[in-house]
Amino acid sequence: MIEFCDVSLAYPNGVQALSDVNLRVARGDFVFIVGPTGSGKSTLLGLVYRELLPTQGRVFVAGQDVTEIPQSAVPYLRRRIGVCFQDYKLLPQKTVWENLAFVLRVTSVPRREIRKRISEALDLVGMMHRCDSCPAELSGGEQQRASIARALVNNPPILIADEPTGNLDPDTSWGIIQILSRINARGTTVLVATHDNQVVDRLIRRVVALDGGRIVRDQDRGLYHHPPESESLCQSELTES
Amino acid sequence: MAVASVSTVALSMAILGAFLLLVLGSHRFVERQLAQFEIAVFLPVGASPRKADEVRDAIRKLPLTKHVELLSREKEWAEFKRSMNTEIDLGGVTGNPLPYALHVESKDSRKTNVLADQIGRIDGVAHVTDSRETYGRVKALADLVKILGFVAALILCFTTIFIISNAIRLTLFARRHEIKIMQLVGATNWFIRVPLVLEGIVFGAIGAAVAVGLVSLGSGYIATMVQERFPPMLRDLSSGIDRGLFLTSLVSGGALIGALGSLISIRRFLQT
Repeated sequence: MIEFCDVSLAYPNGVQALSDVNLRVARGDFVFIVGPTGSGKSTLLGLVYRELLPTQGRVFVAGQDVTEIPQSAVPYLRRRIGVCFQDYKLLPQKTVWENLAFVLRVTSVPRREIRKRISEALDLVGMMHRCDSCPAELSGGEQQRASIARALVNNPPILIADEPTGNLDPDTSWGIIQILSRINARGTTVLVATHDNQVVDRLIRRVVALDGGRIVRDQDRGLYHHPPESESLCQSELTES
Repeated sequence: MAVASVSTVALSMAILGAFLLLVLGSHRFVERQLAQFEIAVFLPVGASPRKADEVRDAIRKLPLTKHVELLSREKEWAEFKRSMNTEIDLGGVTGNPLPYALHVESKDSRKTNVLADQIGRIDGVAHVTDSRETYGRVKALADLVKILGFVAALILCFTTIFIISNAIRLTLFARRHEIKIMQLVGATNWFIRVPLVLEGIVFGAIGAAVAVGLVSLGSGYIATMVQERFPPMLRDLSSGIDRGLFLTSLVSGGALIGALGSLISIRRFLQT
């Protein structure tokens, strides 16, 4: 579904954000991208929806090399990838319903379909009762749920969440991760960048750890921090991959 | 932000419109002074009335001649005697010593000297006066006014475009988050661009319409003040162009600047 082939990215100021990243994410996977601040998590996700271009290497999404597509094709790529952010990025002057409807208008969905899709998305995240509220009237958790609903409303095969629990308390954070887990159970490939070790350790899914722009660990069922007694196993996993 | 954009457009276009009217009016005023230069043609003393008619007909046939008038010698002599009544003793002068004279107007005030030269070559013409030196000075002044006015108007045009574009850019900057979200959810560039360009057109047109109102009010007030306080020769500073056309052009210009300003400004925000 998503494949990084020898990807490196250096920012214009000289910072090497990613170095020689090779990663394959299969359809239906749920992957935590973990690592300290500045390790390259957001950069890695940004390459998937073409917010960034790698300095070297290629990125494939659903078989398409996104580093080679023309600028005019980027919007159509993004319609197949739902993205939610730490700061939610909801349109402040629109209600939750209107925020979701906006996405469907942009993608030219027929009017009769709009109501059905919005209702399904809001039901999935448990926000139907707040659909007429503006973002300023919502709590952080509710805004993030609305953001997830907006990311889902087009039924994308891929959902990316960049630090979705960054501004939330532990209980709310767990609620958000559970929603993402339910979405994944329906077949959506989910990538979550986070430095929230509690949710990672609680869910126990595939963990890809970044440090200094390099993948240092990739475990099918891992914890946020690699247990010391399993370090030798981790190194052999990397060698095999 | 909409009010800020519209008011910026309105003030900038009002200044531009007032300045353009002033430049056009000044140019027309100076051109009118040029047009008032006439050519005086004198026949030799003692020339016959038939010769005077022949000279008049020959002048009328010249391509640059707009109007030629053969002056009445009797009227001129009577006027001369009246004006010199207490200064010169004309008791000893018998008959009419004045030669035949013609006044000629040129179709093109800038070619008055060319016409004067052509008239000087006509058989029967003794002397031609075209106030060449004075005309040259006024013509130079007219050219200077025209060039300076054009350059100043051009500079002001670019300044206006720059100011309005910046105002629109600030409006877009305030909406950069909204534009970014639109890009992230898969809006094409044209989907983002078209409403903003239309908004620029509307803001530009509304701002220019407000400017039209300001200029109309201001020019009416100034015209009244000039008529009351300045000599008659300075009263006519009208631009000479159709007022409706000028004002329509201003509104269209405002809409165009608004559209261009939006198009140019949005490009920066659409680069990913």
